[in-house]
Amino acid sequence: MYSKNQLIRQTLTISAVAVAFGFMPQLVKADPGFSFGDSVAKNEDCLKCHNNKKIVGDNRLINGKVFQHTTHAQIGCKTCHNSVPDNHPGSGGKVTMTTTCADCHKDISTEYSISKHSISVPNCSGCHNPHTAHKAGEVYALELNSTCTNCHNQMKISATHAQWLPQTDLHLGSISCVTCHTKAENFVMSVYIARRNSNISNNTPLIADFEYLKNKTNSDDIHKLVDKNLDNYISIEELKAFNRNPSNKDLYLKAILTPSKTTHAFQTSDKSLNCTLCHASGPSAAQVSKLVLPKPDGTFRQMDIEKGDDIASLNVIPDFYMMGSSRNSILNILGVAILAGGLVMPVGHGFFRFLTRKNRKKE
Amino acid sequence: MESQSKYIYLQPTPVRIWHWLNAFGIVTLIISGAQIRFPEYITICGSYRSAILLHNTAGIVVALSFSFWFFYYKWVSGALTNIYVPKMDELSNGLIKQVFYYFWGYFKGASAPFHATPDSKFNPMQKSAYLAIMFVIVPLVSLTGIMLLNIGPLRQILLMIGGLQILVILHFLLACVLGAFLLTHVYLATLGSTPLAYFKPMWTGWEKVEHHHDDEHHATDLHEISAHSQVSKN
Repeated sequence: MYSKNQLIRQTLTISAVAVAFGFMPQLVKADPGFSFGDSVAKNEDCLKCHNNKKIVGDNRLINGKVFQHTTHAQIGCKTCHNSVPDNHPGSGGKVTMTTTCADCHKDISTEYSISKHSISVPNCSGCHNPHTAHKAGEVYALELNSTCTNCHNQMKISATHAQWLPQTDLHLGSISCVTCHTKAENFVMSVYIARRNSNISNNTPLIADFEYLKNKTNSDDIHKLVDKNLDNYISIEELKAFNRNPSNKDLYLKAILTPSKTTHAFQTSDKSLNCTLCHASGPSAAQVSKLVLPKPDGTFRQMDIEKGDDIASLNVIPDFYMMGSSRNSILNILGVAILAGGLVMPVGHGFFRFLTRKNRKKE
Repeated sequence: MESQSKYIYLQPTPVRIWHWLNAFGIVTLIISGAQIRFPEYITICGSYRSAILLHNTAGIVVALSFSFWFFYYKWVSGALTNIYVPKMDELSNGLIKQVFYYFWGYFKGASAPFHATPDSKFNPMQKSAYLAIMFVIVPLVSLTGIMLLNIGPLRQILLMIGGLQILVILHFLLACVLGAFLLTHVYLATLGSTPLAYFKPMWTGWEKVEHHHDDEHHATDLHEISAHSQVSKN
């Protein structure tokens, strides 16, 4: 039996797949020989040499294992490297390229062109390697930062943030750069399964990889570690059950704040500099949450987590707390009750003190 | 019955400095802490960042002030146990007397069953309350606060005790208990012969006491001097 929500989700999933396949013929138009169907074979032709360092050297080396999981692999090498001469790889058989990133990523290109980054790094390849590029959600959120730290010195990043940002290391360890340094208005709390470190002085989070979780579950369906009812949807109760389960003592849930949509404008929103964007907008700031699970190929996939304020409640994500917005309403009531207890003497005793004031008048 | 006003030197300078530093620090912590938890409703400290910085600074000041208090009473005056830990007799007898006085005798106009001296400053009820506050609540709220300032280095330890949220909850609830105590503390301080009678010694050090010759509880401490000599000193 499917619930109404499950039916809606499945319908949306099927629709998304249908739309995606409907989009494919347009890619095929770019080069009919490189449709999704035969792209693997065509890529293999190229990768025979370009996956071998001894043949092509470092500069032209493609990591086939990483490349095959990118969207770019699906459209095939020749979609971008669109003029491979017949005598390639012979002498003079240099591959030219008239296709640009903007041919497919027009919106991103336009957006990027207005950013300051476009002056110092005019080409997409200055930051992204198209042969290793994954969608933001497929990469560990803090791994996204490595794109930034290729140019921006990490020590300098910490130092400049520390000039104004309290708990700098804590922020930089729980938020990816693009969360603040884009014009994104909404955020997603990405929840990862991390491994506890037996060495208590080592505080670098260690995200559990697919193999580790596979060994733990004895299955490729590692999501059943959390998604107990296998409905591809994570309820708050399932997260609590994960935390309570003694066999998960070696694991914990780590949350990282990511933008709901990454943009390439790289303009720091004024709201980001004002702490209250995250710390004062109430629990709604963290209402959209995703469980991010590793895939066998080293990338990640996301599963929806139940929406609502309960994400801030005790024992859901023990390692995460956002002051000002993760507060729990039951505790607030308890706090007010305790403070009200402190008013018993001033109000209660004070009342009788006022009524009996004549008894204490000096003779 | 003959009575005469006398002054006793009840609060030495280090204690008074500590008290007002603590008072100022704790009020700052409560206000800034309230803004940190409810930034949509409270903006008294300005920006959220200002509230955080103020809270952290005041927290460190209060934690140091607590250490100063402990050091002074334990090793300089040596009176920590005598002043703050209630004796068996005080618990079994004095506590009931004091509660009875506050909730009955006081309203009937009876005189207080306890009179402060420099060596025995607190009545059994105060002793019990301060024991809980100074030996349990303040150390714990300071400790959880210091831990919250060092989440990164303590991450693995925090995970062992149940996570960051446990720490925040403890800090919040302990702070509420301290806030509730503060309300009661300030109110009880107005129950002297005049509403400001108990506030003055915490500012000047000297407490004015009605000295009854037939009163067995009168202060006989060496610090005690007559009202006249105190006036001539000034």
